[in-house]
Amino acid sequence: MVAGDIVLTGLMAVLLVGIAALLTRIENWRSYTPLAGGGTATGETVVHREKPAGIIRWLTTVDHKDIGLLYGLYAIIAFAVGGIMAFLIRVQLVTPAGAILSNNAYNSILTSHGITMLFLFGTPIIAAFANYFIPLLIGADDMAFPRINAIAFWVLPPAALLIWAGFFLAPVTDNMIEPARTAWTMYTPLSVEQTNPGVDLMLLGLHLSGVGATMGAINFIATIFTERDGDVDWANLDIFSWTMLTQSALILFAFPLLGSALVMLLMDRNLQTTFFAVEGGGPLLWQHLFWFFGHPEVYILVLPPMGLVSLILPKFSGRKLFGFKFVVYSTLAIGVLSFGVWAHHMFSTGMDPRLRASFMAVSLAIAIPSAVKTFNWITTMWNGRLRLTTPMLFCIGFVSNFIIGGVTGVFLAAVPVDLILHDTYYVVGHFHYIVMGAIGFAAFAGIYYWFPVFTGRMYQRTLGKAHFWLSMVGTNLTFFAMLALGYLGMPRRYATYQFDGAIAPLVQVTTFHQLATVGAVILLVGQLIFVWNIVQSWLEGPKVEDGDPWNLERDGMLDREFEWFDEQLEADEHERDPSLLADGGQDEQTDS
Amino acid sequence: MAEAEEPGLSDQYPTASPWPLFVALGLTLSEIGVFIGLFPVAVFGLILFGGSVAGILTESGYAERPWPTLLGVGAVLTVLAAALALWQIPLADIALSNVGEGPLLTRLVAVAVAGLVMAAMGSVASLLEQTAA
Repeated sequence: MVAGDIVLTGLMAVLLVGIAALLTRIENWRSYTPLAGGGTATGETVVHREKPAGIIRWLTTVDHKDIGLLYGLYAIIAFAVGGIMAFLIRVQLVTPAGAILSNNAYNSILTSHGITMLFLFGTPIIAAFANYFIPLLIGADDMAFPRINAIAFWVLPPAALLIWAGFFLAPVTDNMIEPARTAWTMYTPLSVEQTNPGVDLMLLGLHLSGVGATMGAINFIATIFTERDGDVDWANLDIFSWTMLTQSALILFAFPLLGSALVMLLMDRNLQTTFFAVEGGGPLLWQHLFWFFGHPEVYILVLPPMGLVSLILPKFSGRKLFGFKFVVYSTLAIGVLSFGVWAHHMFSTGMDPRLRASFMAVSLAIAIPSAVKTFNWITTMWNGRLRLTTPMLFCIGFVSNFIIGGVTGVFLAAVPVDLILHDTYYVVGHFHYIVMGAIGFAAFAGIYYWFPVFTGRMYQRTLGKAHFWLSMVGTNLTFFAMLALGYLGMPRRYATYQFDGAIAPLVQVTTFHQLATVGAVILLVGQLIFVWNIVQSWLEGPKVEDGDPWNLERDGMLDREFEWFDEQLEADEHERDPSLLADGGQDEQTDS
Repeated sequence: MAEAEEPGLSDQYPTASPWPLFVALGLTLSEIGVFIGLFPVAVFGLILFGGSVAGILTESGYAERPWPTLLGVGAVLTVLAAALALWQIPLADIALSNVGEGPLLTRLVAVAVAGLVMAAMGSVASLLEQTAA
């Protein structure tokens, strides 16, 4: 133990000295001394370019566009990891006895799949769009706090490593540290009693990702309030910024609570506190705290994608968003209501029936603003001049899947129905229609719609459409089968399902599990095409020459981000043709 | 130390700063160290965190020099650790010989050590700079 501590001390010392040495090499600390009249100490610095070259650029950037791209890359990697985990889960369930995984491995993968998709893909992919495009949409130079923006991103890679730590450490520590098997909800007493240190690492990772999300949210609120261009007021603020503003407010109230609850859980595990012990606050306290965060988290994840769809869908309908004001109001309404519904996750815990009824009422009430949005999207398309581009297809897919996911949610909000369907695959089907069918689809719509802006190239349209149709068919096959499995009484989270045929119709259950797995295979093929399309088009796709690749000007719908893109294209042209410098073009010898 | 004439990264490029990465790394190591109870990781993580916070505040112009911030972060951590120890641990058990015994004491000592090191670094550097000027 002592030897281990000495090694660790040495390692840490070397790391710290290394960092200090690196910093003195690349950074001039003395120049920080403020000079009279402001400016930098080395006022005669010659800036050749905006950014340093190579890897240093990405490690040190505080530019919102670069950070947006980093978030995007991170989210796509997490999506791949979470997706492979999902695929393993589906393969396992092809046969009632389980096809490939041990029960422990299944539980680990199930836990990690949920946490990866929600915290490492969902939240970061939204941050990717918001970082890149909110400053462009509102005419800001950058985020309000560019450095905090960078910190908020850089806590995420260690958070992911901590969350997945058990998978890496189990083989090298002889299974002393294993991946957590708590499910993503980390219900007590299970999560307190698992002595595995992998659970502590996962909790710390989650805590870090929450710190990052909170820093990001503060930044978005400050940016949208204070950094808008003079002619962007509250009346003409775009819909994506509205949803980001609401989402950031939700994060501000929800994530610190998750952080506190996680610290309480860590202390129960390591310092013998009794927050969630029977003799202390009781195990149900965890559920209340977790879902007070967890339900707003659902809207944290879905509001910005709704904003993306509200922004993109009108562009290919040739009509302005129908009832813009009411879409904004419904966003705000969902934001407020989302904090009053958490106990609908706990209807079957034996809580007071009067409380249950009030939570049911508020949960049902959320259907109203959600339906306002849905009808407004449909009405926007009504009699419109629809152009079925890939982003538009994903938007329509979003609306379609959101209706199924939403209506199944209305059923679950009703106490009597919930008591039957609670903890069955119906719940899994319901929320996957939202998280994959809606949130995932909106993310794809955003990636395709803005692909020309952030790459300067165009994606391959046929592959884009193949990606859409495979995703649409795969999603509906997989998750509709889950709804049916729920009606058949199949409990969620099980690694095997060798029931007695007299209790449950095993043959039908097996069939629907196999259908869901076929859907998962189709989804996997679709996502491989997506990754291929994005990577190849980024490297070799045709360069976009026109600042209006979607021909939006015709309908008067060219937003600021494409105007900015057009300016970039023109600036690039000047740079390529030095003769244009004569008329006051780009001068490379400008100061910062 | 770098040559004064040589411009640093953040002087050269308006959209680059070396600090955020290390603030995040410092925070991560501090959390792992303190919560998992790895003494050296906690101490070095907190020093990296406090140092990077001092650095980033100075770079972005919120502080004139980094040393007072370092001294401040160190003092706050030390006071916090001492207060928690006095509140939660019986006075008789607070002894250096007990480090490594109780889960709370060991962690608080790690925080206090990091705090004291930072406070010492901050004050020595401050003094050196003032006497040099």
